[in-house]
Amino acid sequence: MSNKTMTFNPNANKDIFSKINLFVQTHTALMALIIAVVLYVVTIIINPRGLNTVAIGNIILLTIILSIPAAGQTMVLIGGGMDFSVGAVMSSTAVLTTYTMRGENGHFITVLLLSLVIGAAVGLLNGVCCVKIGLPAMIVTMAISNIVTRMQYILTQGILSGKASPLFSASVKSKIFGVIPMIVIYAIIVWPIVFYLLKRSRFGKQLYMVGNNSGAARLNGVRVTKIQIMSYVFSGMLAAFAGMLGAAYMSTARCQIFDDYAYMSLIAVIIGGTTFAGGSGTYEGSIAGSLVMVLLSNLLTTLNPTQPVRNVLNAAILILLLVLYNRGKAVRQ
Amino acid sequence: MRESLRRFRRKPAFTGCILFLVVLVLNIVIQGWSACLSGGVTIGNMLSFFQPTALKSIFMTNLPFILVTVGQALLLLVGQMDVSIGVQIALVNVVCIMVPQEWGTPVWVGWLVAMLAAFGISALCGACCAVLRLPALLASYALTYLVKGINVLIMDVPQGSVPKTYWKPYQSSLYGLIGGKDAPAFLKFLDYIPVAALVLAAVLLIWLFISKRPFGKHIYAVGTSQRNAFAAGISPVKVQMKAFLIKGFFVGVAGICLTLMSASGNPLQCEEYGIKSLSAAIIGGMGWGGWGSLSCGVFGGGFLVLIQNTVYYFFTLLSKIFTGFSVTSYWQNFVSDIIIFGGLLMTIVTAKEQRKTLQQGLKAQFKRGEKNVQ
Amino acid sequence: MLEMKGIDKRFGAVVALNKASLTVQDGQIAALAGSNGSGKSTMVKVLAGLVAPNAGEIFIDGEKKIIHSGTDAARENIATAFQDLSLIPTMSVKDNILLGCEICTKSGMVDEKTSRKQVQELLDRFHIDCDPDDYVQTLMPSTQSMLEVAKAVFRKPKILLLDEVTASLHYDEIETLFGIMRELKAEGISMVYVTHRMNEIFEICDTITIMRSSETVISGQVSEFTLDDIIYYMTGSRPKHAKAKESDLSHLDDREVVVNVKDISVYPKVKDISMKAYKGEIVGIGGLEGQGQPEVIRAILGAVKPQSGSIEFMGKPVKFKDPAAGVKAGIGFISGDRNKEAIFDVRTIAENIFAGNSAKESLFAYLSARKVRQFSEDAVKKYNIKIGKLKDPASSLSGGNQQKLVVARWIAMNPNLLLLDDPTKGVDIHSRQEIHEILRECAANGMTIIISASDTEELLNISDRIYVFYEGKVAAELAGETKTAEHLVSAMMGVQESGGKEAAE
Repeated sequence: MSNKTMTFNPNANKDIFSKINLFVQTHTALMALIIAVVLYVVTIIINPRGLNTVAIGNIILLTIILSIPAAGQTMVLIGGGMDFSVGAVMSSTAVLTTYTMRGENGHFITVLLLSLVIGAAVGLLNGVCCVKIGLPAMIVTMAISNIVTRMQYILTQGILSGKASPLFSASVKSKIFGVIPMIVIYAIIVWPIVFYLLKRSRFGKQLYMVGNNSGAARLNGVRVTKIQIMSYVFSGMLAAFAGMLGAAYMSTARCQIFDDYAYMSLIAVIIGGTTFAGGSGTYEGSIAGSLVMVLLSNLLTTLNPTQPVRNVLNAAILILLLVLYNRGKAVRQ
Repeated sequence: MRESLRRFRRKPAFTGCILFLVVLVLNIVIQGWSACLSGGVTIGNMLSFFQPTALKSIFMTNLPFILVTVGQALLLLVGQMDVSIGVQIALVNVVCIMVPQEWGTPVWVGWLVAMLAAFGISALCGACCAVLRLPALLASYALTYLVKGINVLIMDVPQGSVPKTYWKPYQSSLYGLIGGKDAPAFLKFLDYIPVAALVLAAVLLIWLFISKRPFGKHIYAVGTSQRNAFAAGISPVKVQMKAFLIKGFFVGVAGICLTLMSASGNPLQCEEYGIKSLSAAIIGGMGWGGWGSLSCGVFGGGFLVLIQNTVYYFFTLLSKIFTGFSVTSYWQNFVSDIIIFGGLLMTIVTAKEQRKTLQQGLKAQFKRGEKNVQ
Repeated sequence: MLEMKGIDKRFGAVVALNKASLTVQDGQIAALAGSNGSGKSTMVKVLAGLVAPNAGEIFIDGEKKIIHSGTDAARENIATAFQDLSLIPTMSVKDNILLGCEICTKSGMVDEKTSRKQVQELLDRFHIDCDPDDYVQTLMPSTQSMLEVAKAVFRKPKILLLDEVTASLHYDEIETLFGIMRELKAEGISMVYVTHRMNEIFEICDTITIMRSSETVISGQVSEFTLDDIIYYMTGSRPKHAKAKESDLSHLDDREVVVNVKDISVYPKVKDISMKAYKGEIVGIGGLEGQGQPEVIRAILGAVKPQSGSIEFMGKPVKFKDPAAGVKAGIGFISGDRNKEAIFDVRTIAENIFAGNSAKESLFAYLSARKVRQFSEDAVKKYNIKIGKLKDPASSLSGGNQQKLVVARWIAMNPNLLLLDDPTKGVDIHSRQEIHEILRECAANGMTIIISASDTEELLNISDRIYVFYEGKVAAELAGETKTAEHLVSAMMGVQESGGKEAAE
C-alpha cells in the first residue's frame, strides 16, 4: 500500500490552496468550464463590444474544430500514448481538400474518403511504430508528421492552391439564426460517436484498462497492442476529418496551416483532466479544455498586445494552468 | 580485441555511432562521386568531403545544432527535456548583437550577458520541470512562447552585425587562425582542422571533466529512478537543476557560435532545433532517463547534419547522371525525413542487438549460479 | 540505541502506521515481523527518509532526530537494504555501491582505481561472483539482492535496516549473509531485520517486534516467544493445527482432466514441470518464493511461452499466443500482486468488477451503463465487498476488498479453469477466509482451480492436492494422508522424504 500515491495529504487539507487543488483534480471537466467562463467574463469586461453574435459564433466554430483532433488525442492519451501528428494530418487533409475541390462542389465524398484513408494510414503507422515496435511515441509521431508535412509541399510545391467548395464552406460557416454556425451539425455527428466509443463500448472500457495498467489488462485478456494501435488510428481519422472542416472554414489552406493543433489539442486535453500517465480522462473534459484554449486566444486578441507581449502572456497562462493541473508527485511520500 | 568490441556493443552510443559512420561513408562517397563527374576523377575530387573549405563550412554551420543536441541529451539523461532549446539559442544570438549595439559595450560584454541569459532561461525551465515538477514537454513548449516573445521584444527585426575580428577566426581553420599564408608552410595540414571543430572539442572536454566527478554518476541514478537516487542521499531536484544549468552553458556557446556564423541577429530562428535535437538524441541512442551518454548527442546530431548534406549531394549527383533531372528542395527534405525516420527504426534493430549481448551476460551468470547451488 | 515512538502515517484515507513504535539496542538484531501490509516496510521507509510520517518521533542514542531524506538518514549513519531494491539497473555494480558516497581524489574527481579495489573487496566478502563493471540489470535477482545488502553495509552504518532481503536468496547466500550479520553485530552495529521466514527470526535475531494492521502489537526477546505466539500476534488468532480438509481422491481417475501440463520449461526458473488438474478440483502449488510457481501459472494462461513441453486444456493441446486467447478459451487469472497485475486503481469499482466482461465479446457493441452497474452491484452484494460508492476509484478500497473484487470479477465470468497466483498476499484473515469459501463453492460447482500460495497453512487448508516446486521441478505431490505440514515444509526445503509421493506419475 505504501507505494500508492494519493492525490492529497489530509494534514494540509486545511489550507485553501490544497483544497482548490483537490477540487481541480476531482472535477476536472467542471473546472475547465469554470476557467473558460472566467476567461470569457474577463474578456467581456475588458471589451464589452466583444459580446456579439459574430464573436460568439466564431468561438463555437473554433472550439468545435479543436474538439475533434482533441477527441483523438484524448483516446491516445487515455491508452497511454501520445499523438503529435494530429497537426500535420490536419494540415495535410486541409491542403488536400482545397487542392482537390478547387472551389467546385461535388467532390465532398471523394475528399472525405481520401482524407479518412490518409488519416487511418498515418494513425496505423504511428500505432505500429509506437506500440508494436516500441519507439517513444512523442519522437515517432513527430518524425512521421514531418514526413506528412513534406508531402504537402511536394503536392502543392508550396504554393497556395485550390479552394474549398462553396457548399462545403457554407455547411461549416453559415449561421443558424444568425448566431450558431452550421458546423454544429458535424459536432452532432462526431461527438456522440466519440462518447459512444469511450463510454458505451467495450473498446472504451478496454482502452481505460490498458492505459491505467497495461500489465493487468493483458493478464485480464485484453489485446493491449491492438487496442492501443486502434486508438492511434481513430486519432488519425478524427484529425483528418478536422482538417477538412478547417479547410472549409479557412476556404484556402497553405501548407502546415494547422500544425499548431498538435500542441493545442494536447494542452486542451490535459486541461480537460486527461493525464499523461494514461487511464483517466473524459471527452467532455477535452471539449471544455478546447473551449478554454479558444477563449484564451480570444482574450489575448481582445487585449490586443503586440505579438511578443502576446506570446509572453500566453506562456505565463499556460504555465499557470500546468501548475494547477499537472504537477508530478514528490519522491518522498 | 573481441572483449573491447563486446564492451563497445554494450555502450549506449553504439547505435548512434554505427548510424553516424554509415552516413559518413555514404556522404564521402556520394560527394566524391559528384565532384568526380564534374571535375574529373582525381584523388582530390574523390575525397572532396575533406577539402578544408567543405570541412570548415560543415562544422561552422552545424556546430550550434550539435551543441544543442548534446545539451538535450544531457537533459534526457536526467529524465527531462527542453523543446524551447531552439529559441533559446536565438535569444543568445539576439542578446549578443543587441547589447553592444544599444549600450555601446565591447562585444565580449554582450557575450557575457548572453551567457547569463542562457543560464537564466535554463534555470527557469529547470524550475518549472524539476522544482515544480511540471511535465517537461508541455512546460518547455509554453516557454517557447515566452522566449520568442522576449526575443522580439529585444530585437524586433533581423539586424545587427559582428566585427570581422570576431567572426573571422571562428569561420577559419586552425591554419588560418595562426596566420594563414604568413604561417610556415609545413603547418599547412592544420588547414584541415576547422576552428569550429576545436570549439566542439573544447566543450566536450569540459563535459568530460564534469562527468568524471560524482555528479557524472548521479545523473544516471536520477534519470533511472528518482526514488532510488533519493534513497542513496542524492537530491534529484539539485541534480536536475545542475543539468539544466550545464545545458544553459551548451546553449550559450551554441548561441555565440550561431552569432559568429551568421554575423547578424535574428530573433525568430532555429525554433525547429528544439524538436530536431530531441529526435537526433534518440537516434544517437539515448533512452528516456538514465540510458545514454553525451556522445549519443554528438553522433545523433552528426547523423542528422550529414543526412541533409548527403541527400543534397545525392540529388546533385542524380541531376548530373540524368541530364534534365531536377527536383525541388521539397523532395530533398522529404527524402531526408524518410531517412531520419528510418534511422529511428534502426535504433530498434541495434537496441535488440544490444539486448542480446546483455542477455548473453545473463546466461553466463546463470550457469555460474547453478554451479553454486549444486 | 534507536527508538521510534508513536509513528503515524496515512496515505490519503489509508492508514499505513498507527502509533507504531520500535526500539533497537546497540549491537542487537531486532526482528520486525507482521503479515503483509501490516506496515513493516513503511516503518523502514520512515527511517530511511523515504516516507514522511504524519506524527511521531525518532530518537537515536536518546537524541531526537529528524530524518527528511536519504541524506539525513546517511548522516545519522542509517543504511537500508530495501525489499524492492534501490539499485540503478543501468549502472555498473561499482557505481551502484558507491552511489552517493563516491571515493574522490583531492581534485574532486572520482577515483576509479581505489573504488574498484574497495568494491572488489566488498564483493569478495559477500561472495558475490560478478565484475565491478557489469551492469546491474544483467545480474540474477539473487545477486542483486546480495548487492543491495552489500551496498548498505559499504556505508559503514551504525544502524542497518534489512527489509526482506532473503526473499530471493539461495541457501548458501543466506549463510554468507548471516555470517556477515554476526560480524557486524560483534562490531556493535544494530540491525532491524524484516522477514517472513520464521526460522530466520529464531536463528539470527535477539529481539522481536510484531506489527498487525499498522500497529505495534508487542515486542520482547525472541527467546520468550514460540512460533505459535508469533503467529498469534501477527494474525490475532492461534493457528489451528490439523484442520486440513480431507478429500476423497478415490474416484480421481474417472474425472475429466481439465489441464494437463507435460514437461514444460520456462527459462530461467522452470526446468521440468508436469502436473494435472481434474474437473472440480482445487490444486495447490507450494514452494519457497522463486521456484517457478508464477511462471507455470502464466504459461498455462498464455502469458509466457514455455521453451519446451506441452499443455493440454479440456482434452486438447493448446498453445495460447497471449492471455487473451487463454481467457477466450475459458481461463481466469487472479494475481496476488494487485497493484501490478489486477487492479485498475484510477478506474471506478464498477469498471474494475466489470473488467473481466469488458475483455470479452465484441469491441463495439452497445454496452449500457445499467448493465455494468447491475453486474457490479450483484457482485458486491454476493461477495460482500465493502465499498463506498460504485463510482469511487478502486484505490479507495482496502487490500482485502480489492482482492475480493478481483475474485468476484472472475467468478462472475464462470471460467472453466481459474488460476490464482498467491491471491491472498497482504489480505487480512477475514477476507482471506471469505475468498476461500468462495473458491470452495466454485469448485463444488465444477470449476477447476489451480492456486499457488506462499502461506503453507493456507495451502494445506484450501487444496485437495498439492504440487511442491523446488528449483523449477516438482519435488513432491501431496494428497490424502501425505498432505501434512511436515511433508509440505520438508519438500519445500528440497529435502527428499519417504513420506512424499514421488513427483512423476
